[in-house]
Amino acid sequence: MLRTLVYLDADLASSIALRYACQLTHIINMQLHTVHVEEPDYDGHAPGTGWVRRTWESAMLKTGEFEIAQLIKAEKSSCPMLGTPKMLVGERENEILREIQRESYDLFVEGSLHSFTPKKLFDKIHSRLYRNIPCPVIVVKNLVSLEKIALIVRDEIESKQLVSMFLKIFSGAKLNFDLIYCEFQESGKLSSKGKADANGTLNAVEQILMEQNWHPEDCRTLQGAPEEIGDELRNYGLVASPLHRSISKKSNWFQLLSHIPSPILICWQ
Amino acid sequence: MRILVAVDQHPYSAHVVNDVAKLAGNTWADVTLLGVGSKVTDISRSSSHTEIKHPIMEALQNYRLNFLDYFEKTESPYEKRACNYEFVEVKRGVWEELYICRGARKDLNVVLRSGNPIKEILAQSQENDSDLIAMGCYKKGGCQWEDAVNLPQKVANNASCSVLVIKEEKKIRKISCCLDQENISQKSIEMINQMVTLYQTELEIVGLTDGTALKPMVEKNLNAILKYYNARQIKAWIKLVDAASLASFISQEARRSMMALWMGEHSLLSKMFSRGNVEKLIQGSESSVLLLR
Repeated sequence: MLRTLVYLDADLASSIALRYACQLTHIINMQLHTVHVEEPDYDGHAPGTGWVRRTWESAMLKTGEFEIAQLIKAEKSSCPMLGTPKMLVGERENEILREIQRESYDLFVEGSLHSFTPKKLFDKIHSRLYRNIPCPVIVVKNLVSLEKIALIVRDEIESKQLVSMFLKIFSGAKLNFDLIYCEFQESGKLSSKGKADANGTLNAVEQILMEQNWHPEDCRTLQGAPEEIGDELRNYGLVASPLHRSISKKSNWFQLLSHIPSPILICWQ
Repeated sequence: MRILVAVDQHPYSAHVVNDVAKLAGNTWADVTLLGVGSKVTDISRSSSHTEIKHPIMEALQNYRLNFLDYFEKTESPYEKRACNYEFVEVKRGVWEELYICRGARKDLNVVLRSGNPIKEILAQSQENDSDLIAMGCYKKGGCQWEDAVNLPQKVANNASCSVLVIKEEKKIRKISCCLDQENISQKSIEMINQMVTLYQTELEIVGLTDGTALKPMVEKNLNAILKYYNARQIKAWIKLVDAASLASFISQEARRSMMALWMGEHSLLSKMFSRGNVEKLIQGSESSVLLLR
């Protein structure tokens, strides 16, 4: 059973992420855990030690607890497996990372609304949390129904890792998915041209998948500017992609990821 | 709902009449087809009849027929009904057979005005207390009308009601909608709803940020809007845009989506997005534009 951690704040992005994660439980055999980190004010340090500090921390937690409980309560009817969220105090990224390492989660899900400027996603990918996170991540940008998944591929070596992660997460699930090779070119010429990619990646990846008894509905190459391909991928409920942690902001691949409005599943390379 | 359709005798106007007929079919709106041209001078009067001749008259009559053709006769709210004898209770217990002519349930008026087209369209919209002015334009050449420079742009900037500029185009894939998220009217949401239904398209709701995060109130409203559309099975996306990048976002997005902007009197957008920007948007947009007020 896949152990999944969903990060929650009392905001729209978390609400969407939670609803999306609940949707995932209908497809994947997974256990859903939720966590919230209450951050102290940046200019304030924890007062004292012992009883004083504990009292201060519990007062802080009480503040966030109510709002997070409301979030959970709203989804509980459609997602009965939701339990009480874990409440932590400290620096958000450190605490999440520690929690993931401590409990060995298989998947991390968090909300981050789709943004016109790529900066937000770039900062996230280069955050301490994402640089060190040991498991794949789903960044939920919008709430969409998970009817079909896209696996986007670049080369055979990266794709092997992507496929193995995909198979681990979706093992036993019944779902429709397409295999897509992206070829970047100038804007205004988006086209789809079947399985014919230059280096035969699609064929190779399809072969690996079929050996595992997974059959993509469609294999195609999308040619176009990153924003055009990103927009085209809006029809998928999840887009799974390989990603190097050191990816540059100007690279086509990063631009593509930032333009996809659907949730993205990041497989670290 | 009252819709004013500003038309002339060119193909872009015929296209608008078709779209407005569909919109009227969903909303049961009172519709006025307005043509503006030179003064009517060719008038022949007889004892029972007055006849006029005017270059735009034939086009207006054809638009009326095309509009009515959209509706099944029996279902049409604009169909004039026949006169019949009916018994009516004129006072308690007393019934009288009267000759009754029932009118259409909704009005379809055809009006011809003469004068400056921009002024006349705005004047008619005031007189009708219109909720929406709809008009078309040539897609090429920056959205123009024949013989009236920048008419759609000027009407859009000066109207006190919502304005829909419809461009002949391939299927609209998405409506990108910048609402004033701290103060959203039910009317504007309904109007967007109508557009989504009319064009059977997806909706993108833009959330304006100050460069960091959404204001809590805006976020709360966005959540409510999202739930509203999800409940109506309308596929709605959210996209965050920094206020500083709004103009560049709108100009990029207008290439592939129909833009809907909330430009009410006190709206944030009307302060950030100048009249010049509105003109540029209408001129440069590949798709139709809706200004909500």
